[in-house]
Amino acid sequence: MSLVRKYASYAKASWAGMLEYRAQILLWMLGSAILVVMLMVWTGVSEDNGGQVGGFSTVDFTLYYMIGLIVRNLTAVWASWELDFAIREGTLSPQLLRPINPIHNHIAANWVEKSLRLAIVVPLAVLVIALTPGAATALASSATVGRIALAALAVFGAWVIVFFADYLIGMTAFWTSQTSAFIQGWYGLRVVLSGTAAPVQLFPAALQGALHWLPFRYMLSFPLEILLGKVDSPQVIEGLLIQAAWGLFFMALCAIVWRIAIRSYSAVGA
Amino acid sequence: MLKYLRLFALFVKSSILMELEYRANFIAQGTLGTLYAGISVVTVLLVFSQTDRLGGWSLDQGLVVVGIFIAFDGLTESFIQPNIRKLIDGIRTGTFDFTLLKPVDSQFMTMFRYMRLNGLMDFAAGVVVIVIALSRLGLPVSALQVLTFLVTLVMAALIIYALQLMLATSAFWFVKVDNFTEAFRALYDTARYPVSAFRGLTRLTLTVIVPIAFMTTVPAQALLGMLDGALLAGSLAFGLGLTALSVALWRRALRSYSSASS
Repeated sequence: MSLVRKYASYAKASWAGMLEYRAQILLWMLGSAILVVMLMVWTGVSEDNGGQVGGFSTVDFTLYYMIGLIVRNLTAVWASWELDFAIREGTLSPQLLRPINPIHNHIAANWVEKSLRLAIVVPLAVLVIALTPGAATALASSATVGRIALAALAVFGAWVIVFFADYLIGMTAFWTSQTSAFIQGWYGLRVVLSGTAAPVQLFPAALQGALHWLPFRYMLSFPLEILLGKVDSPQVIEGLLIQAAWGLFFMALCAIVWRIAIRSYSAVGA
Repeated sequence: MLKYLRLFALFVKSSILMELEYRANFIAQGTLGTLYAGISVVTVLLVFSQTDRLGGWSLDQGLVVVGIFIAFDGLTESFIQPNIRKLIDGIRTGTFDFTLLKPVDSQFMTMFRYMRLNGLMDFAAGVVVIVIALSRLGLPVSALQVLTFLVTLVMAALIIYALQLMLATSAFWFVKVDNFTEAFRALYDTARYPVSAFRGLTRLTLTVIVPIAFMTTVPAQALLGMLDGALLAGSLAFGLGLTALSVALWRRALRSYSSASS
């Protein structure tokens, strides 16, 4: 109960902060532009090859990348940048004096921020899908109620992996001053391996096998595959289990690393 | 002129000394640059794993574009970004006043004062990609191709420099522009592909409104002997025109600058 109240007040404070820094968040969202760029490249390729490559038609690419735009913004996290700053500059110290783990503040702020992101991304995606001939009907036939529910679950699972992996990387700032390089490196790997540069189904077969077991696919591509009917029921169940395992792994690692870090943390300037 | 060359040499020296101070950072950033170079190549390879041609370009021709993209990315990281960050910070905090007080041209001082060495790793990676692509193509490269390549490359560098400087100059009016360079980044991502990979309005926009095409595609066309007179003229016009515009905007901004402190 008290945690719910704490979240409510964190959310209220984050809401005010978000409204103040809305321009900042809009610019951060430009990172999503890569999905639009990739959509344009792939639709060009599919048109050059008779309207289809590797089982993906122009309509498939449109749905994949436009819904991907929404999923990406639902799972966008930048807690690591703030954590890195707080640890380096010593502003973490006052946060530690409060009777609540600072991670809850990051989670509340992250969820509040989604509203602004959705308000921009959803109309854009709807517009592009509506303007692409055949896209709306294709979506209506593939997105059954059951698939929507499973995809929603997978989006949450994706957020868990993205958030806790990001937080874990942010915590490296307790030991190194090169955290921003780790954040960017991890981000770069995600762009290629999570299904941004190309849908996972278009990867060479050998790589697809590896992606099945690595966490990246479950951070973006997997919910899209469910929604667009690219995976069958047993594959959905197996995927959700692998996703849950990765989510729990990063959560547990976060908890352990936090405990070790706090014990040895001596703030700058404190 | 000699004075400016001497100053530039001093800037290089002090930047190298600074880099030696932060070796861990140099290694981390250099590794990151190499990783990003690899990611750029893989991204394009993925597209070509599904098709023989991308907007009429073959894989090896496309790799020349990627190589130029990576090399410019490195040069931006080394020479442009550090200065732009300092400029935006300086305007916000008022330390930009000290730049104005120095008895040298303020734009020269702002554009060349700081350098980072880590981008040179990307630059080298980009050159390697270009060389590999060229050797796979096995085409003879004529002196004219090399010459037009160098000209369009210099113009491309001018375009990239001018656009970023103009974005940063807007900090004189809108103080909080830390992320304007993010906006440039998002657009520059399209330069990884030959501009003909894009269709209709997008391609037109990337050619004549935001001249992304002249950053990577046109130099690659020059090197591969696919350049025509119109593109060469466009390259010169954009390179020189945007440079002049950025200088004019800079002068204009300085006149309306009233320091942040006191």
